[in-house]
Amino acid sequence: MEAFLDVISAALISIFAQNMVLERALGANVLLYASRKKEHVLGFAAAIAYVTTVSAPLIWLFDTLLGESGYYRVIMPLLYVLTIAVIYIVTLVVIWRFFPKLFKSLKKYVHLSVFNCSVIGALFLCSQQGNDIFGYLGYGIGTGIGFLVAAYLLYAASARLNSPLIPAAFRGYPIMIVYVGILSLALYAFTGYSTSAL
Amino acid sequence: MENRINLRDGLIKQNMVFMSGMLIAPVIACATTLAKSLALCFVFSVVSFAAILLCRLIPRTIVYTVRVTLYTVAAAVFYIPAAILAGLIFGEQVITSAGVYLPILVTNSLILSKTETRFYLEPYGNMVKDVLAFIVGFDLACAASGILREFLASGRIGGAEVPVLFTIPALETTFGGFLFVGIGAGLFRAVYNRSKKRAGANAADDEDSLAEYAEDIGEFLVGKRARSEKIRIYKAAAGKAKNENELLEMEFLSNRDVLAAFEAIVNEGQEIENNTANSEPAEEPDPADSGENGEKEDTENGSVS
Repeated sequence: MEAFLDVISAALISIFAQNMVLERALGANVLLYASRKKEHVLGFAAAIAYVTTVSAPLIWLFDTLLGESGYYRVIMPLLYVLTIAVIYIVTLVVIWRFFPKLFKSLKKYVHLSVFNCSVIGALFLCSQQGNDIFGYLGYGIGTGIGFLVAAYLLYAASARLNSPLIPAAFRGYPIMIVYVGILSLALYAFTGYSTSAL
Repeated sequence: MENRINLRDGLIKQNMVFMSGMLIAPVIACATTLAKSLALCFVFSVVSFAAILLCRLIPRTIVYTVRVTLYTVAAAVFYIPAAILAGLIFGEQVITSAGVYLPILVTNSLILSKTETRFYLEPYGNMVKDVLAFIVGFDLACAASGILREFLASGRIGGAEVPVLFTIPALETTFGGFLFVGIGAGLFRAVYNRSKKRAGANAADDEDSLAEYAEDIGEFLVGKRARSEKIRIYKAAAGKAKNENELLEMEFLSNRDVLAAFEAIVNEGQEIENNTANSEPAEEPDPADSGENGEKEDTENGSVS
């Protein structure tokens, strides 16, 4: 029961209080791409949640075994990338072998949803925030759901953000980023903020 | 072909921060001071340049699934010396305060997608110049963000006090970063569009550049059989396929998709050529018309460029 609560609380933190995109800006460029189509929103969120959740136990193992090493900080990206790569290739082979139709629909953007700063960034956040393996798992699941929330909010507004009423220079990418900034500001209500200058 | 490289693409026209948004997370969340932004620039430059140059050697016969994995692994390997050097140059405190934003640079879009859609389709010499232009474009945007945000948020530049009437501390935060980059991107585009208009090259510039790119790829695809008399045909095709090009820039398609898209452009060009030959020789397609069509489509679809 305690383990379950650990997973749930870590997931809730990573969805709201420390949303990967809105609070950390991780995967902001992927968000812009994913928010164009409803299928992309779901596909990307599912892929991110899957990779981060499956990677989480391995990352926890690396952190536990090697965390004390002096050079661990600089070799972390290599270990994490290798972990993601193994999961990516094994998963693709399994899908290709047993679900060829699904493979066909996924292959166009699966590499984008796996090798991007949101996935590797989420794993680093797991490492920083997760206390035990359950915390890591919860953070992994919550990361994907957090991305889904952010991407859906952007998708829902995308038609208005491309309105001709918006000045041409701001239409598209700039106004989307401003909009995500406003969402991010709203999410700060969960945590509040302080700056060094205040 | 060797001299055709346009360095403005990487520096301005497709600037990774203000124009295409290919790498914005570190700038939004981390480039809040000059020291941190310089550390970001250093690690990004070393990792991206070394990884892109090395990964060019990876045979194209290897499937994309494995290739993209090797690109990332190569970048992560180059990150090790880059992070150690950055620690020595900028100090451990700066590196620690940059948090996860330095290591995530190993999965940046320049290495993972621009290589496939642009760099590895160019001759080696052109590619090196082009990569450097994109890297310098990012570095300038990142450094500008660091200087401006540090100045506006705390009245300092590089840690030194600067007389200032008021400060905006929220620029240190992530939402401040989003707003800064979003407004910066809009202003950057407005200035760029105005300067293009002033130069009287508003439509021609985009079309020419796209057409040149399409020509290069066209030549690549048809085994360098493209001749100078076909240039206008490819220009027309590229103008019509403007949306396709925007798509290629933004949607990080795999190399196979890029080739398929450009094959479609070349086929379309050849169709136009055939139709022209079958009707009247004087009535070749007008690139300006095609450009207009492209513009219309672009606006209707509201694509992000």
